[in-house]
Amino acid sequence: MKKTLLPPLIPLVGLTLMAEFLVRQGFVRAYLVPAPSAVFRAMVSSRAELAQALASTSAGSLAGFALSAIVGIAIAILLSSSRGVQRAFYPYAIFFQTVPLIAVAPLLVIWFGFGIETVIASAFVASVFPVIANTLSGILSTDPPLRDLFKLYGASPLVTLFKLHLPAALPQVFTGLRVSAGLAVVGAIVGEFIAGGGLGSVVDVARTQQRIDKVFAAVLLASLLGLGLFGLINLLSYLMLRRWHASEQLE
Amino acid sequence: MLRRTFLKTGPALGILTACGKPARIKLALNWKPEPEFGGFYAAPYSKYGLDVEILPGGTGTPTVQMVGAGSVDFGIVSADEVVLARSHGNDVVALFAVFQDSPTGIMAHASRNLTGIGDVLKEGTIALESGLPFARLLERKYGFSHVKVVPSPGGDITSFLHDEKFAQQCYLTSEPIAARRKGAAVKVFAVSQIGYDPYTTVLAVSGESLRKNPDRAKAMVAAVREGWRAYLDDPKAANQQMNQLNPTMDAQTFAEVAEVQKPFIETDAARRNGLGTMSHERWETLIGQFKELGDISQTIPAGECFRVL
Amino acid sequence: MDLRIKEGEFLAVLGPSGCGKSTLLRMIARLAEPDSGQIRMEPNTMEPNKDRFQTAFVFQDANLLPWRNVLDNAALPLELMGEARARRDERARAALDQVGLREALDRYPAQLSGGMRMRVSMARALVTEPRLLLLDEPFAALDEITRFHLDVQLRELWQRRGMTVIFVTHSVSEAAFLANRAVVLARSGGAIKLDRRLELPAVRNNELRGDPRLGQEMRLLLGAIEE
Repeated sequence: MKKTLLPPLIPLVGLTLMAEFLVRQGFVRAYLVPAPSAVFRAMVSSRAELAQALASTSAGSLAGFALSAIVGIAIAILLSSSRGVQRAFYPYAIFFQTVPLIAVAPLLVIWFGFGIETVIASAFVASVFPVIANTLSGILSTDPPLRDLFKLYGASPLVTLFKLHLPAALPQVFTGLRVSAGLAVVGAIVGEFIAGGGLGSVVDVARTQQRIDKVFAAVLLASLLGLGLFGLINLLSYLMLRRWHASEQLE
Repeated sequence: MLRRTFLKTGPALGILTACGKPARIKLALNWKPEPEFGGFYAAPYSKYGLDVEILPGGTGTPTVQMVGAGSVDFGIVSADEVVLARSHGNDVVALFAVFQDSPTGIMAHASRNLTGIGDVLKEGTIALESGLPFARLLERKYGFSHVKVVPSPGGDITSFLHDEKFAQQCYLTSEPIAARRKGAAVKVFAVSQIGYDPYTTVLAVSGESLRKNPDRAKAMVAAVREGWRAYLDDPKAANQQMNQLNPTMDAQTFAEVAEVQKPFIETDAARRNGLGTMSHERWETLIGQFKELGDISQTIPAGECFRVL
Repeated sequence: MDLRIKEGEFLAVLGPSGCGKSTLLRMIARLAEPDSGQIRMEPNTMEPNKDRFQTAFVFQDANLLPWRNVLDNAALPLELMGEARARRDERARAALDQVGLREALDRYPAQLSGGMRMRVSMARALVTEPRLLLLDEPFAALDEITRFHLDVQLRELWQRRGMTVIFVTHSVSEAAFLANRAVVLARSGGAIKLDRRLELPAVRNNELRGDPRLGQEMRLLLGAIEE
């Protein structure tokens, strides 16, 4: 515990103290970068609003992320079935990665309305591609000798998929999920800029009120949300891979 | 230092004018190039010894912070932004108010047969920038309990066209025209009706810059004033220039908007005291409204918010 | 090439690198198709797509599924056959017993030594009681002592079960120790340079290692390879 928590805390504390000093002494203007104490005060004074916003964004990003995981893995499985299918449909999967979300979000509002559905959709669009790409790569890069083993015993493609390819791909699936988690939070907030609600709305409104302390408070919470989601994936990865994968073996 | 000496003595010295270039100035807009900035594009900057680079903006361009931080020399803001900024220690000063009356309004479908702003808030959906003072004044006055408040779509009217019960914040000079084009019959309500009427599209400068170089600010205001006069008389050339920079609006709309916005710019006060004029009284009213809303903790002196050059 | 293998034989296939001995084995296992010609099993009780479980393959690398423990790895062929858990676990335990693995059944491949992993691989191959056992340089990556040990164990298993074994190897000493017939392939083209019944006793144990007869066979085989 000490080994993982202490090292990151030291630069954090140092940076916070330095920022506080710089703003108080006027080296950095308070309306551009708020003093950490001001951010803290904003967190405390708006705690009810921020708590509710955090809950809303958490729900949206979690739902969007879960959708990405399920749909992403499913799409990757479909794409893995044949070269032809891959060549025909993979470019469209890439589309999810390259489309500028801020341009698509207003379209999402037209289809899903001004509610959490748009937030979930936005989180999904932002985070699905890494799941597809990493899962597909994992499935396709199964060791040839292992494939031979299953071929030797005449296992059907479906059986091979579930007993060989998917378990073998699991480490890469988790890699994809790790990347996807953070993107889901970003996607949810972009969705909230357009559809309202959650931390995105807090940031947007606070910005128009020039309440930069509140903006930072909301952004900080969003980062913590992303961190929490990331940590959850890591925990899951550890539980599922610890017995057999090098990445989770203790040094 | 040396350069300014050149500027002053250059013409007299003849040959040396080639070395004395006019001061390179950055002017940041808070939206895409549209008729609301027409006069800035029409202004004869070189005549006043200025070389101005106009930086177009978009959604959320933080012009009031950019001016205060010194990353641009001048910026376009609104009067309410100036009040908020100053209350946070950001020393920004208003110099020239293009829109004497705020063109902010609420646009609704005519078929709803609404008679006043309050009626808009009785049902359906309204898209607002809910952090802005006028939105909170609306909430105070009429309450939002019967209407669903969603974020402002920033000029986009797609949601509005899809839903009869959808109303949105708009610029009276802009979205209604676009909506009518698309065949929608609209009814607009100016926010100034509820008594909230800040100067809009205001040229601002940082207090520090103003103190250091008052002549430059003076020259800028003079150029801008002349530019607006020229634009009001004939917007075609500037419209063409802006249209090239901003192809999202067609030439016809540019012409229409330039016409529709005139009453906001050339008001009686403007005719009396000159384009861009500002009064102490108007600033005081605005500051008082902010105090009432609780957005600022102490009143700030109106005289520090603006300067007439 | 034209090669006939009798049921019950222990055949060693030798040759320089790239001569195609691994490919030959894979074709027999139906993991690869020949460009021309055919591979027939007689009597024709072993049809290509049926009775796949009559042929077993031990790969160069232990080739275990890392996310399964020892028992589940050994039981894999039976699982693919559709056998019920209790029955297949029982058979897997028996097979593991035959290769000397009684404990550590719930350990994972990452926790095993190279030698242990190879034993699991062999147990897996034996679990379906195959009639034909194919091995592709299975002990090449192991240390000598383990290799000697497994050689003896393999030979015993062959004698007990009466299956046909085709053993591809680089090692002349291993081929001579294990097989009763050895075939040496040419550098390329697949021609058979030597096809010989080895004149060695039926019982092969570590004492044979020092026997001059073994050295003689080895020299013959080596000579054929180096030609």
